[in-house]
Amino acid sequence: MRNYIAVVFSDKTKAYEALHTLWTLDDLGAITVHGTTVVHRDALGHIQVDTKETHPALATAIGVGVGALLGLFAGPVGIAIGVAAGAGIGAAAGGIVGAVTDMGRADTRDRALSDTAFVLDIGQSAVIADVTEESVSPVDTRMRELSGSVYRRAKSAVRNDDAWYYDSYFYPYEYVPSRDMYYW
Amino acid sequence: MTQVHKAVEHRTNPKTKDPDPLARVRVAAQELHGALSDAAAKRGEAMKSDLQAIPAKAKAVAASLKESLGVQGEATKKHLEEAAKYLETTEKHVAHSLKATGHAFDTSVRQAVADARAAAQKISEAVAAKRTVESTKTHA
Repeated sequence: MRNYIAVVFSDKTKAYEALHTLWTLDDLGAITVHGTTVVHRDALGHIQVDTKETHPALATAIGVGVGALLGLFAGPVGIAIGVAAGAGIGAAAGGIVGAVTDMGRADTRDRALSDTAFVLDIGQSAVIADVTEESVSPVDTRMRELSGSVYRRAKSAVRNDDAWYYDSYFYPYEYVPSRDMYYW
Repeated sequence: MTQVHKAVEHRTNPKTKDPDPLARVRVAAQELHGALSDAAAKRGEAMKSDLQAIPAKAKAVAASLKESLGVQGEATKKHLEEAAKYLETTEKHVAHSLKATGHAFDTSVRQAVADARAAAQKISEAVAAKRTVESTKTHA
């Protein structure tokens, strides 16, 4: 079954361990990973996405995508809110939170902060992945060992036009930014 | 760049290399997307210089993919055929970007990155389809 999963951890080191674990499970053939990304929520509540430095316009698309994805795990209402709020979520490129114009809008910012809070609390990190899994047990077992909380959503339950946002954003391989980028 | 493809490097290590040709094609497609994304993150001539190597890489991945097509089941083959189309368009967009400037250049590069990613994903879906078939046979 094709699923989106979000695994939430209390710190980013664990999130990267989880990222590596997912790709190891793929190497072993236990699951097939189609793409992954790692997000963090900083002390101010801003969601940061570890990504390569890229064109500013793409960073906006990334923000929308991750907002949509986090909203997705919040349930049907969350999808719409997530897409709307996503424009206020910056991408952390080179350790800097992306400056996105909509971030200046208090209403957008506040919704972004509150509507994803139940999944990703302040100080927490999450690895988000698009996977095919015959059984949920390989991922659940390994993530439990890492003290992660697993959220899962069937890809078939997602509208294609919503899926585009995060599909175009996920890395199809294990992407770990440099130390400078995520140990700021 | 080196830290970006940690898993890809690990998975192409000769000691751990998966003997399945499809898995190797997948790694090659992932590397193509990685190289293209790295190039796209640069600016000006540095980006163009890196982009020049991409069409040949895309061609090589497409050639390996076509070689592996013959031995796949129908579900797997369908994904691989789609991947081949994306690889072809990746190559075209990059070739176009090398001749373009300004907005046209940005658009071509963006489309190339998106198509390279789509190719990697389709191959990944082919791997999943193949694993599902093999798993069904094992449990039958």
